[in-house]
Amino acid sequence: MTPTATEASGIRIQQLRKSYGSLEVLSGLDLSLAPGHIYGLVGPNGAGKTTLMSTICNHTFPSGGTILVDGENPAENAAVLERMCFIHEDQPYNDAFSVGSILHVMPTFYPDWDDALAQGLVARFQLPLERGPRKLSRGQKSAFAIVISLASRAPYTFLDEPYLGLDPTAREIFYEELLADYGAHPRTIVMSTHLIDEAADLMEEVIVLHEGEIVLQADVDDARSSAYIARGLADEVRAFVAGRDVIAERSLGRILSATIRGHVTADDEEKAAASRISIEPVSLQDLIAALGIHTLTSALTTENR
Amino acid sequence: MNPSMRSLRLYLSNKTYVVVVPVITLLAMVVVSVFIALVMGIVVGLPLPAAAEEGFRSNLGSLTALPGFLISVGALAVNRNFAMALAFGSTRRNFWCGTALGFVATSIVTAAAAVVLLALEKLTHGWFVHAHAFDVVAMGSGNYLKTFGMTFVLSLLSLFLGALFGTVFRAFGAVPTTVTAVTLGVVVMGLVALGVWQRVRVIAFLADWGLWAVVAIVAALVVAVAAASYSANRLATF
Repeated sequence: MTPTATEASGIRIQQLRKSYGSLEVLSGLDLSLAPGHIYGLVGPNGAGKTTLMSTICNHTFPSGGTILVDGENPAENAAVLERMCFIHEDQPYNDAFSVGSILHVMPTFYPDWDDALAQGLVARFQLPLERGPRKLSRGQKSAFAIVISLASRAPYTFLDEPYLGLDPTAREIFYEELLADYGAHPRTIVMSTHLIDEAADLMEEVIVLHEGEIVLQADVDDARSSAYIARGLADEVRAFVAGRDVIAERSLGRILSATIRGHVTADDEEKAAASRISIEPVSLQDLIAALGIHTLTSALTTENR
Repeated sequence: MNPSMRSLRLYLSNKTYVVVVPVITLLAMVVVSVFIALVMGIVVGLPLPAAAEEGFRSNLGSLTALPGFLISVGALAVNRNFAMALAFGSTRRNFWCGTALGFVATSIVTAAAAVVLLALEKLTHGWFVHAHAFDVVAMGSGNYLKTFGMTFVLSLLSLFLGALFGTVFRAFGAVPTTVTAVTLGVVVMGLVALGVWQRVRVIAFLADWGLWAVVAIVAALVVAVAAASYSANRLATF
């Protein structure tokens, strides 16, 4: 019997290693993903995001360590793997197939396939059903992957850079549809992304992967509320932050932005107002930067430009 | 639904490619054979006289028309369909079993088409010009069962050969795939050389056992190639 999101026990990974020859992509990674949440997997290119998802889904073999999905090893385990859907960002399709013919066969793979949702998404993304996937534009390929991933209703759905090539309108459609469908049918969704702040509202938990290791795993709301930014004239800000746990500073002329660990109190707000300092919530990307994952942050910032 | 059936459905979801095109390939081979007969007829007259018709019974078009296309079908199926099936939550084993069933389906349809075309060829006495495409020595000289058997195992061998190349590529990469292809080529050439060297024994063997011996040998090759493809598929990655 297929476990529901609430019956499922999630994904447990211990000491996962994956090497390609002498290149170690995942190095002794430990990770626990409780079922029924949306996870954002962030990190620069080459951090091991796709490799991690591929290894969980048994698309590639681990070099060491253990993976358990709902308490079972997913390797060649039909009962586990049929609860998964992972369309790669560069997913190969058979050139002889059209978008329509692939969608037609999908209910065979997924008993909970929602055809109405698939058709609705196809219409919203304006996907040409008769065209072969290879002839789709980059954005259409991403949209096609989103259609399959969401309509599959797979209890474990993995999205690999799902917004790649999508224009802002299509990205908005994706975010809207993902949240609506997830709300109606909770399941475990792991989404790799570079757009940390844009996708932050979708994620319940953020996992930062860097050089094959998890460097941060935190609830997004907790993470955001764990720090705040004080911005104002440098001298005023320096006076304000005295004695506080400043984890990052950024100057622009006479303006200083200080990222401070902790929660803002009413007293803090009063003092800030008196000193003409604005207190602002910290963005997820700024927090990741402030936590000292400098290499990662500069890579992400570069890619987002 | 049995998980293997999902990959079978995936394989069959483009029937034009895996069912219709092989049949059209056979039809095209008939057209080419008739065209050759018409060209010959310019010299010897139409319908072809007995001597020319006898020469046509050595036509190998029915053996050579299919393998190229079917090898590509097999290779694409285990390469692209593999990537799709894995993305859609299949195991390697179930994917391979479902796809192998698909190969059997393609081979049955192709063999059945060969039998129908043989019947039409006989009915029209060589497509009205005494041309022979299926009523040939290589297909059992007009024996329906032998034509079916030969076309079936040949189709299956071609599909599994393609599957072997495709799975080796997925499991080990381009260089081992090339090595496999070259090795198989050397083995085939060696077997041909062996056959020519021992032609007296080979002819005697074929005289005793007839085309069924060839069918059995090809069937044995199918099993060997399928087993190799299955083993490679267990190691294939995305």
